[in-house]
This record gives sequence, structure tokens and C-alpha cells, in this order.
Amino acid sequence: MAYFTKIMPLLLEGTKMTLALWTMTMVLSLPLGFLVSLAVRSRFRPLQWLMEVYIYIMRGTPLMLQLMFVYYGLPFVPLIGPFLRFSRLMAAVFAFTLNYAAYFAEILRGGFLAVPKGQYEACQVLSLNRFQTMTRVIIPQMIRVALPGITNETITLVKDTSLAYVIALAELMHGAKATVSRDSNPMAYIYAGLIYLVIVFVVTMIFKKMESRYRLQEK
Amino acid sequence: MAVIEATNLKKSFTQQEVLKDISFKVEQGEVIAVIGSSGSGKSTLLRCLIDLEKVDGGSIHMDGSPLVEDGVYCSKKQARQVTEKMGMVFQQFNLFPNLNVRDNLMLAPRLVKKEPDQVLQERATRLLQKVGLSHKDTAYPSLLSGGEQQRVAIARALMMEPELLLFDEPTSSLDPELTGEVLQVIRQLAQERMTMIVVTHEMGFAREAASRVIFMDQGRIEEEGPPEQIFNTPRQERTKLFLNSVLK
Repeated sequence: MAYFTKIMPLLLEGTKMTLALWTMTMVLSLPLGFLVSLAVRSRFRPLQWLMEVYIYIMRGTPLMLQLMFVYYGLPFVPLIGPFLRFSRLMAAVFAFTLNYAAYFAEILRGGFLAVPKGQYEACQVLSLNRFQTMTRVIIPQMIRVALPGITNETITLVKDTSLAYVIALAELMHGAKATVSRDSNPMAYIYAGLIYLVIVFVVTMIFKKMESRYRLQEK
Repeated sequence: MAVIEATNLKKSFTQQEVLKDISFKVEQGEVIAVIGSSGSGKSTLLRCLIDLEKVDGGSIHMDGSPLVEDGVYCSKKQARQVTEKMGMVFQQFNLFPNLNVRDNLMLAPRLVKKEPDQVLQERATRLLQKVGLSHKDTAYPSLLSGGEQQRVAIARALMMEPELLLFDEPTSSLDPELTGEVLQVIRQLAQERMTMIVVTHEMGFAREAASRVIFMDQGRIEEEGPPEQIFNTPRQERTKLFLNSVLK
């Protein structure tokens, strides 16, 4: 117990960083993913292809590689390289956001596909314009379908933040590793694991609530 | 002036010609039943009238203003003005599952019509009463029977006060015991002189509620006339064959 109270401040410092990374990534990647899901459905072909390539790269290469590329690689880009020197946190937020936006876009696209064509037709014969159709009818139905997938990704992101270890961001995993090396005591790993579980528990509860609210709405 | 007039409509899907030179007129207060076997082009015709499908040739005029003239479509804005005067009821109801019954009725007029909310609320109340669903005001569509959903869909279409109401096989996805309640509502609208075009497989309904029957076969209007004439003394061989097969 004495050891627990001794190392907790350090782990909580790391937890703060983990939560900061998680929050910023969520706040940025969900709207971006939404825009990408719209772009993938766009009738303007070049935009559609560009987005498909983007999604392919983000899903087809390891997140760890993307992270290292953003932090260590981008500064070497000719001409603009010097302007692409991010702090560790910003590099992580940037890489995670790009990566997660691609996954969210795919989940949301699936949600869009689940809305029957008849819904669009009903809107058209009732003279709703495209914006009204999307905001009042299509998106509320799409979200209901996409929400479980989003919950899943959100939980994965909590754990994926630990990848930022490779660019030496002082997040929870980083703190735990440092503590274990310093004290030759593996307990920090267990405490870190418990902290991840607590975070995931809270996130799961929040999203469960949202899911049930969307379900209730239709009953 | 005719409420809606279609002249020489043509429409193909890839290889198949679905509408071959269709012309007809509908006058104020008429109830047209469009009958014919599956694949005869009835639904496509209806969908072209309200701009859910584009024709390849021909003209559609509503109250004299064109939606399409000789295969050339008017501007989006005008198309909207024309189709705003029409309502449509679908085979699959297509109610909005994320909204309750009253909000299904209120959504479009609130966004599209420039009328006070009070007026719209009263209209919704009146129309729900008319289709016998006042008690389902706050229910969500998933909790309603097919017949109830279709009656809500009719009320939703009427909220926009259309001059012409199109029905695309309104009872075809209903259990037999539920078709009666929907047809009853359409009959009542017919008595109130609502102008309607009803694509239907319900021959009994076509015979008693329609003022005119159009029989379609292979993308053509094969025969049209008052129901007594079409059902009792059909002139065309194809009409006879069709009626024999469905009226056994």
C-alpha cells in the first residue's frame, strides 16, 4: 500500500496525458470521420477516390508507423518540413485523429447504407431539401446503426493511446514502464492496467446510455 | 385545365423499355385506378409523375406548368414548385422511424410551408382523427401495425395539402385483414373529391371507388374508361385476359 501511494502520483500524471490524447482525438476525429463519410458518398468522383485512398492507407498501415512518421518523419519533408515539427502530444493527436477518422468514416458509411432508399424518397416527395433530409431524417437513423461500432472504436482508442509510448509521450504506459524499470517492481503494470479498466468502464457506460437513448426514441 | 397531363412519356431502364408512349390527363376530382400485371410500368409511371424517376421523352404538366417538356426537364426550383403540389403514399409506407406519429406529420410542413405552428398542429389533429389514429399521436412507427402505418403515411401526405395524391400500391405490403382500413380512408378521400391516382391490385376497390380505370400492359395504356366498362365489357383482348386471371 505504501508503494501504491508512492507511485500513484506519477501514474496519474500519465493518466492525465492519456485522457488528454483520448479526448482531443475523439473531439477531432468524429467530425472529421463524418465529413470523410460524406465525401466517400460524394458524386464527385475524384473526391471519392481520394477519400478511398486515404482510408486505405490509414487502415492498411500500422498506427505505430503512422505515429512515428508524423513525429520523426514529417520534419524531413523538403521545404515544409521545418513547419511540421510538432510537440509529442500534438504529433500523437494528429496521427490518431487521421487514423481514427478513417475508421469512423467507414463505420458511419455503414450506418448510411443501412438507411433505406425509401426514406430519401419520402423526404423528396415531401419537398424537403437535401440539408433538411440529412439532418432531420437520415443522420438520426444512421447514428443509431453506427453507434455500437463507434463505441467499440472508442474503447479501442483508450488502449491505443499507449502506442504514443513510441514517441516518448509521457502517457500512462510510459509512466508505468518508467516506474517498473526504476523500482524493479512490476506492480506499476497492474495499477496501469486497472486504470485503463476504469477508463474503459466509464466510457462504456456513457456510450451504453447513448445507445439506449437512441433505441428508446424509436419505441 | 387538367390537374396533371402526361404526353408521350417514354422511359427505359438499360435494355428494357418500361414506358412506351404514355399519354393521359387527370381532371380535378377524378380518382384514377391504374391496374395491370407486375412489370407493366404502373409504378414507374407514378414515380415519373412526381420526379422520383426521370423520363427519357415526353412531357408532364401540372396545372399547365411543365415539369418536363419533350424530354427536357425544367429548373430544379420549378420542378420543386410543381412536385410540391403532389403527395405520394408508398407501398412500404416510408414513415420516419426516428419520429413519432405527430412529428412524422409535422416535419415537412414545418420546414417547407410558411404557416403558423398553431395551424399545422390543428391540421395534424384533424387529419389523425380522419384516419382514426388520434390515440396514436405520440407512438413511434415501429409500434404500429402496417395498416396504421399506412394511414399515418396518408395523413402525412395530406398535411402538405396536395392538389393531387399518388398511391403506389398502398395495400400491397399489408396483411389481407389490414387492407380494408386503408382502402376505407382512400374511399373517404374519393368522396371528398380529392384528385388521386391509385396504382392497385385491389380490383374491388378499383371498381367501386375509381371514376376511371387505366389498364396498363407492357409499358402501354392498353385501355381506359369508366370502371363498369373496363370490368364488364373490356374491349381489348389483353384486358380480358388480365381480368380473367385476377378476378377468378
